[in-house]
Amino acid sequence: MKRKLIAAIGVAGMMVSIAACGSDSDKAKDGDKGTAGGNKTLTVWVMDGSAPQEWIDGINKEFEASHPGVKVKVETQQWTDIQTKVTTALSENTPPDVLEIGNTQTTGYAASGGLADLTGDKDKFGYANWSEGIKPSAELEGKLYAAPWWAANRAVIYDKAAFKKAGVTPPKTRAEWIEGLKKLKAADPKSQPIYLPGQSWYVFAGFLWDEGGDLATKDGDKWKGGLGTAEAASAINFYKELQSFSSAPKDKDEATPQQSTDIVPKGGVASWIGLGWEAGGAIDAIKKAGKTADFGYFPIPGKTADKPGSVFFGGSNLAIAERSQNKDLAKEWLALATSKKGMQSYGTAVKGGIVPNDPSAQVQPEAGSFAEAMVKSASSGRITPITEGWANVETEPNPIKGYMTKVLKGEDPKKAGEEADKVIAERLNQ
Amino acid sequence: MSTTTPTPQKLRTRRPLRPAAVAKNLTALVVAAIFVFPVYWMFSSSLKPQSEILTKDPVFFFKPTFENYSTATGVDLFWSYVTNSLIVTLGAVLLALLVALAASFAIARMKFKGRKGIVLIVMMAQMAPWEVMVIAMYMIARDNDMLNSIPLLTAIYFVMVLPFTIWTLRGFIAAVPVELEEAAQIDGCTRGQAFRKVIFPLLAPGLMSTSLFGFITAWNEFAMVLVLNKDKTNQTLTFWLTQFQTAFGNDWAATMAASTLFALPVLVVFIFLQRKAVGGMTAGAVKG
Amino acid sequence: MTVDSQGTASAAPQDAPGRAAGKSQTPPPPSGAKESLRPPRGRRSLPSGLLPYLLVTPALLSMAVLLLYPLIRNVILSFQGVNKREMIRRETPWVGFENYTKLLGDPDFWSVVVRSLVVTAVNVALVMLIGTLVGMLLNRLGKKMRLVLSLALMFAWAMPIVASVTVFRWLFDEQFGVANWVMRSIGFSGYEQHNWFETGFSTLVIVTILLVWGSIPFVALNMYAALTTVGTELYEAAKMDGASGWRTFWSVVFPNLKPFFMITTFLEIIWIFKAFTQVYAMNQGGPDRSSETLPVFAYIEGMGQQHYGLAAAISILTIVMLLVAMSFYFRLILKQEDEQ
Repeated sequence: MKRKLIAAIGVAGMMVSIAACGSDSDKAKDGDKGTAGGNKTLTVWVMDGSAPQEWIDGINKEFEASHPGVKVKVETQQWTDIQTKVTTALSENTPPDVLEIGNTQTTGYAASGGLADLTGDKDKFGYANWSEGIKPSAELEGKLYAAPWWAANRAVIYDKAAFKKAGVTPPKTRAEWIEGLKKLKAADPKSQPIYLPGQSWYVFAGFLWDEGGDLATKDGDKWKGGLGTAEAASAINFYKELQSFSSAPKDKDEATPQQSTDIVPKGGVASWIGLGWEAGGAIDAIKKAGKTADFGYFPIPGKTADKPGSVFFGGSNLAIAERSQNKDLAKEWLALATSKKGMQSYGTAVKGGIVPNDPSAQVQPEAGSFAEAMVKSASSGRITPITEGWANVETEPNPIKGYMTKVLKGEDPKKAGEEADKVIAERLNQ
Repeated sequence: MSTTTPTPQKLRTRRPLRPAAVAKNLTALVVAAIFVFPVYWMFSSSLKPQSEILTKDPVFFFKPTFENYSTATGVDLFWSYVTNSLIVTLGAVLLALLVALAASFAIARMKFKGRKGIVLIVMMAQMAPWEVMVIAMYMIARDNDMLNSIPLLTAIYFVMVLPFTIWTLRGFIAAVPVELEEAAQIDGCTRGQAFRKVIFPLLAPGLMSTSLFGFITAWNEFAMVLVLNKDKTNQTLTFWLTQFQTAFGNDWAATMAASTLFALPVLVVFIFLQRKAVGGMTAGAVKG
Repeated sequence: MTVDSQGTASAAPQDAPGRAAGKSQTPPPPSGAKESLRPPRGRRSLPSGLLPYLLVTPALLSMAVLLLYPLIRNVILSFQGVNKREMIRRETPWVGFENYTKLLGDPDFWSVVVRSLVVTAVNVALVMLIGTLVGMLLNRLGKKMRLVLSLALMFAWAMPIVASVTVFRWLFDEQFGVANWVMRSIGFSGYEQHNWFETGFSTLVIVTILLVWGSIPFVALNMYAALTTVGTELYEAAKMDGASGWRTFWSVVFPNLKPFFMITTFLEIIWIFKAFTQVYAMNQGGPDRSSETLPVFAYIEGMGQQHYGLAAAISILTIVMLLVAMSFYFRLILKQEDEQ
């Protein structure tokens, strides 16, 4: 998942991380004092925006206290060019010991032999308590290569005032959703009832799963794309219908320009589909501009009222490099960070804005918060196909995005889908 | 050309409204505006509050804020990136000047077998596809335990700017009349002394404009850093800037502030060298 | 250049004007005069047997270690099937010419090659043309205006590439672009949300604007500098002969600046052909891969899909193409060496 999770912390979290980095040197000094020998440094790579600084500081403090002479060095990585960074790092003699890896990319690295096999330590990590939806991304052919860490999914964020003015209440079904958007359009023709760029492919994936299709399926020992199917056609047609309420560009995703900070704060958007950190970012940006955001949240509606729409479970796993020089220490750190207690304090730090690996560690989100809406659809959470080639499909130029733009601009879904399927198959089966 | 001769001043005062002159200056202004506009946009964005950066109708008047600069410079390790960038860039440029001076002197002033071959090598070295050699370079560095090394990065940038430096300096050296050198030698200087006392001072402008170019090239490089120096304390300002989209969480104002700071050294060097550099490029460029 | 023949004042860049001056029978400029004074001989006072070799050794050695060696490693890599898995495992399985045959048999590769060549040709032509004009304009301006214009050029040159790409993307943004605002303000309709990156062609037009904008300062400033070396006398003479501005350029300026044009064009071809950030960051090679140039293609197939061997093969093919395209240049430049 190429997005960060500063659930409801947004810019504030960034400031914390900047301020908190200064404490590294202090820690080093303490470590030197505390131990006579056996100084070891455990390097942990986390992705920008994933781990709230106060949480990771807490974990490290606890870890360093119980492991005298060990210093934990946390290096925050940016998402730009992350694949190259991780691949090359895993090939080095002194790789980072623990790394955060996106859940859609873990299988690929597991298959390449770069990640340590953790099957023997299942119990240490509390494998038995992990939720079934989150497990598969960390496993390959029956072996465990990572500890699932957190996941998050999208929900609809709406402007309460705009909804009230149009007399619209949060919908439960797709039909109600469209009905509401029509009303919003009528109430304020100048505004966008929903902001939805043409390439928000994780949203599309949800619609596709609702139709019973998938992005790719295994056919014998080969993979094939699933965009040329009838299911994909109805999914993209629904997406098209939604998108027709938006004047967002058809050939961009939600990050260009960033919908949360560059679009929504400017006003004129009654609703949009986003993640928790995006909602937080928008709230902060609106505050910075001297106004107050009044957002409500609801799960992406499903086809029927009894079940919310399927959502993509974006998230991260924590893995250990096969070449790590400190595997045992790394395992202990991993066990601590992903333990129920660790996950609970993580959940608290982000106000319940994540789905933890262990459902019983879920922190109850505040009523009316984004997290509340998000957790409601967690039961319909899915992830992208589990295969080592999947990371290649996601890499730009992403064929799914190209397919979406083509159909939105009027091309036949089947034809565009079959073209995209060819690329998907090529990348999956290489 | 007329303006460089002493007479045109008079000419102009006599005929102040010559349409050709007006057209000329107007064109110059328009061209200057076109070239400056993106730079101006970067700079003005760096002074805007985030909410006024991307707007349907561009904002030209706003209350400037320096907050973005403190955000940019307040980033963890910012000054370390600056220092690394300066060390690597200046180190590379100085090394290149030194090595190129020797080589270009030989090429421009001496006769030896293989001279033409060297000229050819230097020319071909200009074409080196550094961007795509990144992985090969990485594998070499990795297998020799030379990752996360500032000296290695400096050395790579040095070789990156070396061919151009040799090429340009050769022109400058050739531009120095041999008679001067010979006169010095007649006066009893050794060849080395003649070089130091006569040629070198005359080369100053050439050295400056060449180093300016080298500076810009090395200053802008980042692809190597991505794979070679993954340890943050050994990364450069440019590299960090390329990661901006996430580094600032889409804080475009801070990004532009950082970019402005990033452009500053080059501008300072240029304004400092302005006359000499532009004048000095002459010889080198003509000669190539 | 065989040193003897040019072991004279004519070694100076002024030699070009000098020679041309001789041909065009205008009064010889000062440097030309000097030339006739000195016999073409007499500076090899040193036993220069070893010295020149000693002087070029550091340069050659450093290029051998940090350029040639990685290049050889790159060639080797292009014959290996190194992908993500092999990179991590540090395996280097030989695959022979597989990377090459795959590329050469891929129609996409060829369309990228053609596109790269066209983009390079168009860009270099524009850069040289406009750059020369701006350089000539600089030369004709008064002191103050010249400072203004050269500062403007320098600002553009000093702007970090990464930042300029971002700014250009903003300027042509569909929703917030200044370009759309300008079009609206002038009174054109249909620019409420015009997408400047609608097609590969339109994307490449924007890329071209950026590349030309970024490359002109180098050409223009150098052109101006070069022009100042053309003796004023030449102009005056040409003017007295009643030559028009255009003819003055072709008969006086151009021949004198031929070496300048040659070198600058050579450099621009290389730089434009290799331009990556400007093309990639603009629209990631899209839409539908239709604005990919060779370096972008290499990046997407190599770094993006993590086919490092394949990327190496692309880079080798790129070098070979450049070498072939440039061979005529090499010959010209070497010939010029001989003439000296």
